[in-house]
Amino acid sequence: MTSPAEDVVSARPRPRRGVSLRNAGPGLALAAAVVLFSLLSPQFRTTANLANVLDAAAVLAVVTCGVTFVLLMGSIDLSATGVIAASAIAVALLVENNRNDSDLGYVGILLAVLLGAGLGGLSGLLLVALKVPSFMTTLGVSAIGLGVATLMFNGVQPNISDAALEAWATDRFLGLTLLTWIAAACVLAGWSIQRWTRLGRYAYAIGGAEEVLALSGVRVAPYKVAVFTLAGAFYGLGGVMVTSQLGAGLVQAGSGYTFSSITAAVVGGTLLTGGRGGVLHSAVGVLLIVVLTNGLVQVGVSPYWQGGVQGLIVVVAVAAAALPLRHRNQVVK
Amino acid sequence: MKFTSRPAAVLLGLSVAAVALTGCSETSTASGGSAAEAGSCDPADVTLVGQVRNESNPYEASWLDGGDAFAESVGLEQQRLTYDGESTKQQEQIRQVLAGDTSCLVLNVLPNGDADTAPIVNGADEAGAYLVTQWNKPADLSPLDHDRWIAHLTYNGEESGKQIGDALAEAIGGEGGIIALQGVLDTAAAKDRFAGLEASLAENTGMELLDEQTANFSRQEALTVTKTLLTKHGDAVKGIWTANDDMALGALEALEQAGRDDVAVVGIDAVPDALTAIGDGRMTATVSSDGPWQGGIGLAMGYCVATGELSMDDVADEDRAFYAEQFLITDDNVDEFVNPEIDLADFECDNVFDRVAGPLS
Repeated sequence: MTSPAEDVVSARPRPRRGVSLRNAGPGLALAAAVVLFSLLSPQFRTTANLANVLDAAAVLAVVTCGVTFVLLMGSIDLSATGVIAASAIAVALLVENNRNDSDLGYVGILLAVLLGAGLGGLSGLLLVALKVPSFMTTLGVSAIGLGVATLMFNGVQPNISDAALEAWATDRFLGLTLLTWIAAACVLAGWSIQRWTRLGRYAYAIGGAEEVLALSGVRVAPYKVAVFTLAGAFYGLGGVMVTSQLGAGLVQAGSGYTFSSITAAVVGGTLLTGGRGGVLHSAVGVLLIVVLTNGLVQVGVSPYWQGGVQGLIVVVAVAAAALPLRHRNQVVK
Repeated sequence: MKFTSRPAAVLLGLSVAAVALTGCSETSTASGGSAAEAGSCDPADVTLVGQVRNESNPYEASWLDGGDAFAESVGLEQQRLTYDGESTKQQEQIRQVLAGDTSCLVLNVLPNGDADTAPIVNGADEAGAYLVTQWNKPADLSPLDHDRWIAHLTYNGEESGKQIGDALAEAIGGEGGIIALQGVLDTAAAKDRFAGLEASLAENTGMELLDEQTANFSRQEALTVTKTLLTKHGDAVKGIWTANDDMALGALEALEQAGRDDVAVVGIDAVPDALTAIGDGRMTATVSSDGPWQGGIGLAMGYCVATGELSMDDVADEDRAFYAEQFLITDDNVDEFVNPEIDLADFECDNVFDRVAGPLS
């Protein structure tokens, strides 16, 4: 008769151990990848290449920061591609460029980020007002963003000549481009929002148990809209950064970022079901993805194999990271 | 057992359905006869339609502009269609256009992929619309077997890949290491162009291929890949061969960010930014297929046949599917291409087949 009580007591410590293992998984995978590639390729372990890896991770880190907040709520965001496209073209047309006479400098950059935030907010509003699942609203908003970008593009590539924005990609501080420092600042800001603000705490709570939160008298809807707006602002900044890198506003600027950012977040340990993970987890995921891309080229894997090999490693990494969680579920059952 | 068998059954059912559907769509490719008599259209009754993937890349936008220029020259208007690179959307647009009055309809189409060409051709044949296709066509599908499919034209990627390979060899003085950025690996364009580079490498023995990677025709991926390859091979890199100009421009950005100005870069497509770069001396060479001409020529061929100014009997069989002439652009001749002037004489009915460079093999 006493056995059930004993079971409960003995089961308690196990989830904690599982949680700590799960948190360490992606970090260990990243360390393993770095060590492995360093052993296989002398070029990989040069400081120039490690700086190159961090530079290459910059835009993806910022975009992933945004998508992480949405994933924490248990929603999904497929709008990054379209939002980045719109803000990339917008910023190219607002700063000094070859298409028109505008020369707004940092105001132009701010406007492009606000455009991103606006599109993100639109996703959130459609979600809470019309009760359309985020999968569909964000897909729609992505198409709207691409449409806006195509209209602004108007057949002629806008090339930027704004010195400040071009310097983001070329000027270096402590060996890293300004873009990388901006990305680091974004991760730090994202982590602060997640850790210290009501918005961040509620994002976790919405992902964990939205009904409980609503029943305890919290109005959930404004926070959801705010999270999508925040995510949109991160995508908008990502678009500005891509434009700085490429020296031109491209409609295709955001292609690939929707899924690579979600992949990075999940690889880092942010769950698609919400409530678990966070900005720092996702940042580790971003680094893991970028190290893989860079390392496979450095060790000389044939381009015909790279896509498949990279996919395989990602699947194994996610499976390994989720293993302790599965164990925990079995104990709880 | 109960739980595992259900998904298995669903999967099995779906696969059977998929196989059955594939079978159905293959049997429906037999085409019908033609509608109105060819060449009986009043010039004012001709409808001109140009269809490309999207207007958000300069090349395809210039294609439609060329179509507009031709349409204006004969007092008509071109209907500009774009399908965002989605095959289903393209087929839907074609069906809508063919549902209207089709007896004097002229279509100049860029099929999304090889597999999209057959339904377009069959639809146009049944409706009696005049059709010219460009770039994509499965090898076993020939305009000779169709009444209203006037011609298919494309460009020899092997030739252009070799042209820029040779230009690159010349730019680096015949000696030194190069890296190659390939396009989307499973496309014919990427394969042919890279085969051209290999042919060029065989001739220019001093030029060594240090590394080949794919950047999927994307400027952004090219930027990252080039940066990585520059750290990998360092000063050994004297030249960069890319399968299109977007990747060439990405490579140029990477070189600029790495502070390298001693590396020659070549691409294909002649997008405006690449021409500017060639004019500035930052880039070595590109190849032009002449987008505005492509946009006009398909409509011109259809218009000439529809109005009877050109009889299909006079068109040689080897001109029905052909490689069109393409142009290597270096700093010697870049000025002629920076502001492309559409020469309407190219679109006169006697001249529409003037740029045939050879039959499609």
